[in-house]
Amino acid sequence: MSTEENKERIELLQGTLDLLILRTLLLGPAHGHAIAKAIEFRSDDVLQVEQGSLYPALHRLIKRRWISVEEGTSENNRRAKFYQLTATGRKQLALETSKWDKLAGAIARILRPTEEG
Amino acid sequence: MWRRKRVLQDLDQEIRDHIAMATQDNIDRGMSPEEARNAALRKLGNVTRIKEDAREVWTVVWLEQVLQDVQFALRQLGKSPAFTVVAVLTLALGIGANTAIFSLTNALMLRPVPVRNPNTLVELLHQYPGEPAFNGFSWDAYQILRQNHVLSDLAVDSPNTFAVHGQAIEPRTVFGGFVGGTFFESLGLQPAIGRLVGSEADDLGHPVPVAVVSWSFWKNNFNSDPSMLGKQIVINDTPVTIIGVAPHGFSGLNEEMSQHVWLPLSMEPVIHDAPLGWGSVGLIGRLKPGVSLEGARTELAVLFQSAIQTPDVGPYVRKMNFVLRSASSGLSSPIRQMLHAPVLVLMAVTSLVLLLACVNLAGLFLARGASRRQEMAVRVCLGAGRLRLIRQLLTESFLLSLFGGLLGVLLAYFGGRGLLRMVTSGRDIVGLPVHAEVLARPDWRVLFFTGTITIVTAIAFGVFPGMGLSSQPASAMQQVARIGESRPRRLFGKSLIVAQVAVSTVLLSVAALFVGYLSHLRNGDLGFRRDHLLLVNLDLTHSGYDAEQWSRLSQELLMQLQALPGVLSATFSGMTPMLGAGASSFASVDGHPEVHETISINFVSPHYFDTYGTPLLSGRDLSTSDEHGPLVAIINAAIAHDFFGSRNPIGSYITLDHVTGRGNDTPTYRIIGVVADAKYNDLQQQPPRTLFLHAFQEDHFVSQLSLRATLNPESLTGVVREKVASVLKTVPIARVTTMNDQIDAAIVPERLTATLSSWFAALAALLASVGLYGLLAYSVSRRTNEIGVRMVLGATGGSVMRMVLVEALGMVGAGLVIGAPLALWSKLFATKLSPDLVANGSIWVLYGVVALAIVTLVAALIPARRASRVDPFVALRCE
Repeated sequence: MSTEENKERIELLQGTLDLLILRTLLLGPAHGHAIAKAIEFRSDDVLQVEQGSLYPALHRLIKRRWISVEEGTSENNRRAKFYQLTATGRKQLALETSKWDKLAGAIARILRPTEEG
Repeated sequence: MWRRKRVLQDLDQEIRDHIAMATQDNIDRGMSPEEARNAALRKLGNVTRIKEDAREVWTVVWLEQVLQDVQFALRQLGKSPAFTVVAVLTLALGIGANTAIFSLTNALMLRPVPVRNPNTLVELLHQYPGEPAFNGFSWDAYQILRQNHVLSDLAVDSPNTFAVHGQAIEPRTVFGGFVGGTFFESLGLQPAIGRLVGSEADDLGHPVPVAVVSWSFWKNNFNSDPSMLGKQIVINDTPVTIIGVAPHGFSGLNEEMSQHVWLPLSMEPVIHDAPLGWGSVGLIGRLKPGVSLEGARTELAVLFQSAIQTPDVGPYVRKMNFVLRSASSGLSSPIRQMLHAPVLVLMAVTSLVLLLACVNLAGLFLARGASRRQEMAVRVCLGAGRLRLIRQLLTESFLLSLFGGLLGVLLAYFGGRGLLRMVTSGRDIVGLPVHAEVLARPDWRVLFFTGTITIVTAIAFGVFPGMGLSSQPASAMQQVARIGESRPRRLFGKSLIVAQVAVSTVLLSVAALFVGYLSHLRNGDLGFRRDHLLLVNLDLTHSGYDAEQWSRLSQELLMQLQALPGVLSATFSGMTPMLGAGASSFASVDGHPEVHETISINFVSPHYFDTYGTPLLSGRDLSTSDEHGPLVAIINAAIAHDFFGSRNPIGSYITLDHVTGRGNDTPTYRIIGVVADAKYNDLQQQPPRTLFLHAFQEDHFVSQLSLRATLNPESLTGVVREKVASVLKTVPIARVTTMNDQIDAAIVPERLTATLSSWFAALAALLASVGLYGLLAYSVSRRTNEIGVRMVLGATGGSVMRMVLVEALGMVGAGLVIGAPLALWSKLFATKLSPDLVANGSIWVLYGVVALAIVTLVAALIPARRASRVDPFVALRCE
């Protein structure tokens, strides 16, 4: 487990994408393109996901059993793969979110120390 | 696993869907369909990489890629079997030769002895100028050397042969030794059972008749039965009690001369019935921490000087120099001293062969890489990264190297056995058994060495074709489109040929040097006639004859042998030339006591000089009537010159300091004849000053029988054996050989270097010509067009041929120009290793240059002829 954590700390950006995917799937199952669109839309297009990297990230999450995949039908009636959050994934999201908050808070304190005092 | 499969299976479809949906979105935003699709693709990124990354999530990806690379490489190699076979064979020869020679080097110089801290182990020796160093001191010298401050321990280790018998032990000769009280302790050895020889060994006043045996002796003779402790065995007629077994795997400090029985040093005077004089106390030491070998040598040399400046030490010993050597990989033995220089020379030669093989393969790979450029370009366009392509090429070279390495190890195994046969065909090292097979035993060091050179080789020849590869699809395709080759690549290919020619020149020249030296040794003037001589070595140790009987019987035997048809003459002598040993002493002549020099001594019967064809210069030969008269001697021209100058030595007297085995007598001999100089102990040295004494005058038991035959001497073997058996009923024949064989046996190191270096040089020349041939053939086939155009424009076949030959000549010439000085330089290296080497000027470099020029130009002729026969119309139609 500890090595996994190490890895996440080092690969911060990758981990961030994972977190965003998990957060997106909290709203319900979605296919790949929808996830990419959702992330861009919900961040007011600030986060431009390189869409290609989405798929490896999805595979990584499946491998960790944080999300699962099943067949479904897309908006335009095509068969597509839908990703959805698992129970573990839900827990992980909570965990990751609080970690992220702490991290963001810490960085903010360092970058703008005056605002605190 | 199943998850992986399911998820990956639909990845393609999923990405296509993604693109379709993104395109649709873009269209909805008002883009044209084409624009929309491009934007979607741009946003998605490199599809191949996405797929690889996704797959990477699921696999240990490098492993999978390696497997892919290997599969692909195997297919590629299978497609060009000729290339593959040539490459694998080239590598196998290069790697095999290095492995075989390295396993010798390893056994002789690198493998540590199986004792505690082998690195601090040193060996003390002394050396008479010009002779091999020898480890044998006296008890008194040992006591003086012990007063040093540089060794933490100085232990006695005197190897010896023992005649062993006992209950359930067949009488046999076993190699063993006398050891001091600290020997086993100093080496950190614990007994397998019982106890080892301890401090009682150094109490010379109270010899304790005990013995320690080796593990394998215990196993082979006593079935590893522990109850053998306390039993007696008989060593040289002295019963001793076995007190312990040495640990498993320990058989003395020289692997190739396994020891099996150790007695306390105090038993040495008992067994040999003589005090511990010079030569009987072998010494090994342990360097104190922080003391260098050089530092220890300095102090011990001072002690040694004081040890030999005592009145009871003879003049021979007083001229000794002290030598200290590291014994971390074993004590120096005659076979080690003999093979030291040849092995280093051969190591250098085989390294060059491997270098050449690498360069050769690099050339092959380069040519092949050029013809595969199209394939590479296509793969670049399909998204393969540059690193990935280089890795693919490296995989191919690694595979080739691996196959070559495996085959090379096989070659090394069989070649190594041949090598050992040659090594052991040498003359017997008197009294010392040699188990040469351990020299070829591979261990992890050899495997590591072979593995390393295999990998280094693969990298060395594998990276070249990857150079100049472009990772940009556009420029990769441009490279294909270009008809000719780029200038740097052509130059590089040519420089590889130049390098091969240069290395081959060095190898051929050095081989010519060694072969020249060998033939100089073989055909040089010996001072005796080597042909038609049969040598019979008798074993007199258990004859039971007294001197009187022996003298009568041996003369009887000579009479009968001389009467045989086919025998011109027969003689007895103490030694025969090139046997490798002989007595020596210091001598002076009456009237000139100030001339006091060392001389070699041989004991010979009448007709020795007839038999050997050494001319008598003045005086007369020994005769049977001298036997009971005053002591007489014959000297050779060297003694006459050095002791008498222009005076006539006949009738003068020569006095010896002592003769081997005669204690402190100083016998005087009347000189009755002078013979021409002849080589005696070795072929490399000038004939020594030699004194010939009468074999039957002083009760010597001489055991060497020589016969001059009128026909092939070996055909006499049977009848001579019969005669010996009928006259000397208790004397077995130890060995029968011819003088020619004995001479060959005396120059094993020279034969080894000459034979192997010629083989390797021939191989090198072959490789270089194949390389040149390959490059020219390839260049002619690529230039078919150009040649066609030239011919259409009026070039004749001859001028085209000349064009190709000039190209070849340029490369060969450059190689020779670079190689010749390198060859001269390598001669310095070779003469440093074997100082005896005589090189007649630089003629041998010329041999190398001429031989190589001929071979390579022959190789160039074939493609040149092909070029001259290009049909211009066919050539142009190819376009």
